[in-house]
Amino acid sequence: MNRRHALRHIALISGGLALIPSCDFSKEDILAAYENLKITATQKALLAAISDSIIPAGEIKGALDLEVVDFILVMVNDCYTQENRENFTAGLQAFPDYAEKTTGKKFEALTTKEKEAFLLEAGALTGDDTPEGKRLSGIGYFLSSVKQFTIQGYMASEYIQTEIIPYSLIPGEYNGAVLISDLQKPRING
Amino acid sequence: MANLNLRSTQERTYQAIVVGSGISGAWAAKELCDLGVKTLMIERGPDVKHIQDYPTTNMLPHEFPHRGQLTEKIKEENPVISKCYAFREDAMHFFVKDAEHPYVQEKPFDWIRGYQVGGKSLLWARQVQRWSDFDFEGPARDGFAVDWPIRYKDIEKWYSHVEKFAGVSGFKDGIAHLPDGEFLPGYDLNVVEKYFAETMKKEYGGERHVISARCAHIHGNSEAFAAQGRGSCQNRNLCQRGCPFGGYFSSNSSTIPWALKTGNLTIRPDAVVHSVIYDEAKGKATGVRIIDRLTKEVEEFYADVLFINAAALNTNAILLNSTSTRFPNGLGNDSGVLGKYVAFHNYRARVSGEYEGHAEYTTSGGRPTSGYFPRFRNVYKQETDFLRGYAAGFSAGRGVGPDTSGIGMELKNNLLNPGQYGPWHVGSHMMGETLPKESNYVTLDGSLKDEWGIPQLKVSMDYDDNDEKMVKDYLEQMTEMFTKAGFTNIQTSDSKQAPGLDIHEMGGVRMGKDPKTSMLNANHQLHAVPNVYVTDGSSMTSTSTQNPSLTYMAFAARAAHHAVAESKKK
Repeated sequence: MNRRHALRHIALISGGLALIPSCDFSKEDILAAYENLKITATQKALLAAISDSIIPAGEIKGALDLEVVDFILVMVNDCYTQENRENFTAGLQAFPDYAEKTTGKKFEALTTKEKEAFLLEAGALTGDDTPEGKRLSGIGYFLSSVKQFTIQGYMASEYIQTEIIPYSLIPGEYNGAVLISDLQKPRING
Repeated sequence: MANLNLRSTQERTYQAIVVGSGISGAWAAKELCDLGVKTLMIERGPDVKHIQDYPTTNMLPHEFPHRGQLTEKIKEENPVISKCYAFREDAMHFFVKDAEHPYVQEKPFDWIRGYQVGGKSLLWARQVQRWSDFDFEGPARDGFAVDWPIRYKDIEKWYSHVEKFAGVSGFKDGIAHLPDGEFLPGYDLNVVEKYFAETMKKEYGGERHVISARCAHIHGNSEAFAAQGRGSCQNRNLCQRGCPFGGYFSSNSSTIPWALKTGNLTIRPDAVVHSVIYDEAKGKATGVRIIDRLTKEVEEFYADVLFINAAALNTNAILLNSTSTRFPNGLGNDSGVLGKYVAFHNYRARVSGEYEGHAEYTTSGGRPTSGYFPRFRNVYKQETDFLRGYAAGFSAGRGVGPDTSGIGMELKNNLLNPGQYGPWHVGSHMMGETLPKESNYVTLDGSLKDEWGIPQLKVSMDYDDNDEKMVKDYLEQMTEMFTKAGFTNIQTSDSKQAPGLDIHEMGGVRMGKDPKTSMLNANHQLHAVPNVYVTDGSSMTSTSTQNPSLTYMAFAARAAHHAVAESKKK
């Protein structure tokens, strides 16, 4: 069944049920997240800068344009266990000093290339049970969390799912043997 | 408790009362209404109207604040229901939260419940395989439980009756122990599933079948369902939110609106049934006593015929709480078996693997079902060191993902243009028959009560040695079959999950030939109170391996017609 036919079905069967979201509870969640995690304005700006490095703006919008930072904090606040929340905030707190000590500059002052190289390296940090080891693994944990939620928040954003790669509520009839070579997908330039 | 029966008895009298609006209750109500019977359907939860009460049905992924995930707070507050695969951000509102309706776990039991009009019919997995005499004859052949008082010939036409109305997609597979039915066009297996099915046929001399599971979805020709206001399944796989197309069968989309159209149905939501009223002088049940969920007021409703289809364990609870001088141990419980011989399906074990073959293929679109192994153990004769056997799910799928190792523009372009095809992933889960036994039971707690002053249900169910052997056999057999098919990286797991998470609890009000050892006769009537019918999961004498809902529907239709025929004799 094609999309037009399917939409006609919606109209016929569902009595013109509107395709709109039923509620908006996200603003309150965002405020609660900032409050519970005790995020300062400086830390928010830092998180935003990191998310911007992970998925920058280009031909299409990036993570900063979509305020993915709000999504990151809501997920950390609501879906992390207390232990993981604490690991995350500890990593966030340790990050600025570590960045400056490692690169000789504040993170914000690095060039794009330098930021990318530093984040890839720091995101893989692990450590032993010593206080210094825990500090390093905390930074690694923090950065891998930020990356994971940046990717999720960006790809599952309204912008991507309505304008760039429209999400289909009606995915169409199953084909259980599609030749990959027959698939033609236009390349999207980020 | 205030007793405010202000309305006249006449106003509260119907020809039939059905307790429960889930798959079996609403089906009984629909049949009764079609036959001209003025019916009251009582539901303990709030009303859920088709489409208008599906708040998340057309929401896009980004509209869920946690993109579908449960928050820690919800998980902490709901350790039981959070284990259910469908309890996610998009459908949480249709499940009972742990704190709302406490029960006593004498042994661990994850009780998954949906308290609303439509019950769990909004949430079910929609798999509908028929039983055969290899199932009905199980207890008699293998010497457990009691003999079923019915056979396939008694239920066959009712399977057809309900399949035609519900809409069942499937293929005529010609398997003696999984009878064909009234099918709409089936959903094809994919290229790897077909390969596996062919390999199994060759390797096991045609004795092991992998088929496309029959499912209660409208596929192909939907014209016959227009009268119900339902259309074709759109392959959305968002069924648990409620389907605006009525693409799958639920009470809400199908039997309830149909019954309402007859003008014979009254629905009373928010009414917690306290007990069935038994009139000692008349020697029959005359109605039910309910407590309003919100006001806590007590009210009574009366009818000539009662259907108690409150879902398996709650039907047990209602009958246990329906005591009288004649039945001090629960309605119709002369035998003492009420609440006992409960059983469930064993869903503990899984096997997964990968397949490097058919690398040039993938799939597109969606489908509401997947592959199915009908039981192949101990079907024609006893051949293992455990009784009975298991069915199994089987599916193959292939994901395409992006390389997320990088950062910046490289990462962004990879995310937007995923091109990494992994190997095919194959997976199977077992659906094992468990044996009903006296030591698995439910009863009412002596002191703990719920919000409405009704004793809490105490559940005591466990696995036994037969189940352990079956898990082991499933894991061995599936590993062998995966190996024969050339699958690699084969992983087995036993979740050891508690009974209940299968959501296939059954029994306690079992059917049987002998009133001394069973509760219900061959017509689904209480032996001792024949104007009370039970056709939900509690009536199951044994469990076999098939997803049971289709059988409850057929029972409900059959019993409703029996009740009407009986009333005409008078």
